[in-house]
Amino acid sequence: MKKKLVSLLMAMAMITGSLAGCGSQAENATADTQTDAPADANAAEAPAQTETKEEAPASDEPITLRMAWWGSQDRHDKTIAAIELYESLNPNVTIEYEYYSFDDYFTKLKTLVASDEVWDVFQLGGNFPMYLDKICPLDEYIASGVVDVSKISEANLKTTRETDGTQLGLTNGINTYGIAYDPAMFEEAGAELPKEDWTWEDYQKAADTITEKLGIFGSSTFLTSDFIAGCSTYIGQQGDLGQYSFFNLDLTGMGFDDPQMLTPFIQMRADMIKKGSYPDAGASAEVTNIENDFLVTGEAAMTWVAVNQFPTIYNVCADQGRELALAPLPKVTAGGNSGALIQSSQMLCVSQDSEHKEAAAAFISWFENDIDCNNILQAERGIPANEDVRAALSASATKGQQIMYDYVDSVSKNPTPKEYNVLSPDGQDQVQDNYLNYIQQVVSGEITAAEAAEKTYADAEAIFK
Amino acid sequence: MGDMKKTKADTLSSFLNNDNVVGHVFAAPFIFGFVCFSFIPICMSLYYAFTDYSLGSKMAVFVGLENFFKLFKDEVFLKSINKTLQYVFIAVPFKLTFALLVAFLLTRKSKMVTFYRSLYYVPSLVGGSVAVALVWKQLFARKGLFNSVLVNMGFEKINWFGSEALAIYPLILMAVWQFGSSMIIFAAGLKEIPTTYYEASEIDGANGFQRFFKITLPCLSPIILYNLIMQTISAFMTFTQAFVITGGGPNNATMLYALNVYNQAFKYNNMGYACAMSWVMLVVMSLITLVIFRTSKFWVFSESEG
Repeated sequence: MKKKLVSLLMAMAMITGSLAGCGSQAENATADTQTDAPADANAAEAPAQTETKEEAPASDEPITLRMAWWGSQDRHDKTIAAIELYESLNPNVTIEYEYYSFDDYFTKLKTLVASDEVWDVFQLGGNFPMYLDKICPLDEYIASGVVDVSKISEANLKTTRETDGTQLGLTNGINTYGIAYDPAMFEEAGAELPKEDWTWEDYQKAADTITEKLGIFGSSTFLTSDFIAGCSTYIGQQGDLGQYSFFNLDLTGMGFDDPQMLTPFIQMRADMIKKGSYPDAGASAEVTNIENDFLVTGEAAMTWVAVNQFPTIYNVCADQGRELALAPLPKVTAGGNSGALIQSSQMLCVSQDSEHKEAAAAFISWFENDIDCNNILQAERGIPANEDVRAALSASATKGQQIMYDYVDSVSKNPTPKEYNVLSPDGQDQVQDNYLNYIQQVVSGEITAAEAAEKTYADAEAIFK
Repeated sequence: MGDMKKTKADTLSSFLNNDNVVGHVFAAPFIFGFVCFSFIPICMSLYYAFTDYSLGSKMAVFVGLENFFKLFKDEVFLKSINKTLQYVFIAVPFKLTFALLVAFLLTRKSKMVTFYRSLYYVPSLVGGSVAVALVWKQLFARKGLFNSVLVNMGFEKINWFGSEALAIYPLILMAVWQFGSSMIIFAAGLKEIPTTYYEASEIDGANGFQRFFKITLPCLSPIILYNLIMQTISAFMTFTQAFVITGGGPNNATMLYALNVYNQAFKYNNMGYACAMSWVMLVVMSLITLVIFRTSKFWVFSESEG
């Protein structure tokens, strides 16, 4: 009996020990960042207040900046080249960079937030409200001239400003959404090409036709953007201009009252999955980033893109001998709101944890304003906010980039609501995952589209309780 | 003075040579690691389980049992329990049976046995890695190896990860495939069974099956118990496969418990809620382990009680 007691205790210890394996991840992450610490500790000797006049810190004390971003391989290559250029211009600055895919980036960021070790320079998108505590505002550096905003228009600065007017970062580029498609596939299948005023019905019809005729997906998966397409855009496209939005303007509640406004989109999505013109969950899981999207691999005729991604996939497809085109988002009614909004793609921010805030701010200023740097970056993060840079780049634009520039120009001529908010509240990730699962449940017949709409609305509402 | 010094040195050296002290000194690195990286986090997680806490925020607001009440209204949580139990109850018996079978085959006296044992152990070495999970994802993809074999044999393509009913089976298969560590333990246990038992039974005219069920299994039952418990516990904590291969989909059909905890903690930023989930898991696993122990007296043969 005693033997058994001992072995029981052993088993208990085993369970707790192994559970701790799960629980201690945050601790491990702390340990990780601490191994980086010696490099920082050396740099910490440098005076915190280096006297700077222009971009480069006047002091020759070595400074190590940590920087991170998310994106595709194309972005990684270009950003690393830009960083190397900066290091060659500023020999005293060393930049330790890390890059991730979108999901991994935010997992890592959350652990760093918890341990007060956020990278000196880091990239944030529309979900920045979650990280406000960690963002060091740039106003002070703009006032002192470290950060140059003279060539960035007020409207562009506003995209990365808090409602109280604090400048949180500088936008990496102006962006909007569109549908990238392969016109040759449309023609082969005899489907109607997207027009300026096409509707979601046209979109579904074209996709179904392509699937019937060519045996491929009519539309590739929108991945997590299906939430933006379905919930955010689809709601904004209804009613008068600016009457509805999914969340309200100050992100304190819902921006519409009737959950059934979502139903037609969910029904369309489920119908398309059943028909095979839109990938089901299994196929969607195979797409991990824009570079292996079904449009790029030739298994689909169109896909949803943030337009800064367009030149990349345009080039890849051009190598395969295909020529992609960019269409506006489908609308609810042909004459209705476009729902397309010009927004900041992401921004670079200085972290509150940084020991070299000024050097970090100087780097960001260079990154956004320097023409040589942006010649390397090639607007891969979106159309540059700096007018001189934009002029320099569009002069030497490739075909794919030219399509992007023209598209953004045409979208910016659309009537847009006087005020809008493209930010996402804390908690949206879970609503989004549930939304995608509800669509699966509609496909399998567990629930109806109307129920899925009710549930999505309830989930979203629960964020604010 | 000299004497004093000498006696001091003597006490010091006798103190250092004391078995207890030596033991603790050598155990110190482990104790340090256990306390810092296991024990303290475990205690912290118990506290956080009763709070509304997220990684980003510095404040943990005490909410009492709210996290636990919320759990039982959470559809995804209930589904993940369901799916994890399905996973464990299928994967563990298959894995153990397979491990025992291979171990039994590899007890023959042959020069190649060690080589084969090492070979069959390889999947367990690489098993937890992301790389193998990615390979698995490719094998079962819509245009993966298994589907092209099926199509070539004239069958319909199977959409493994697109079907709610099927998606968990590739994960189970991957767990079964990693039978190496249980196999090694079984093999060691098989060697311990005295050959005299077999010789005696042979003289009595027992056939192979009888020998296996009347001698091998009973003698091996303590080892089976050990393997059963270890594998059950590790199956409950499977994470990599679900995270890498399916991400929990389709419609949460492969949302294993550990993945759900991870999502809540790091993706949805509900660290407090995730801690509560971990503790519920601890209770569930302890209960199952207890049940296994309680039933063990009916089927585990112990020589001392013989």
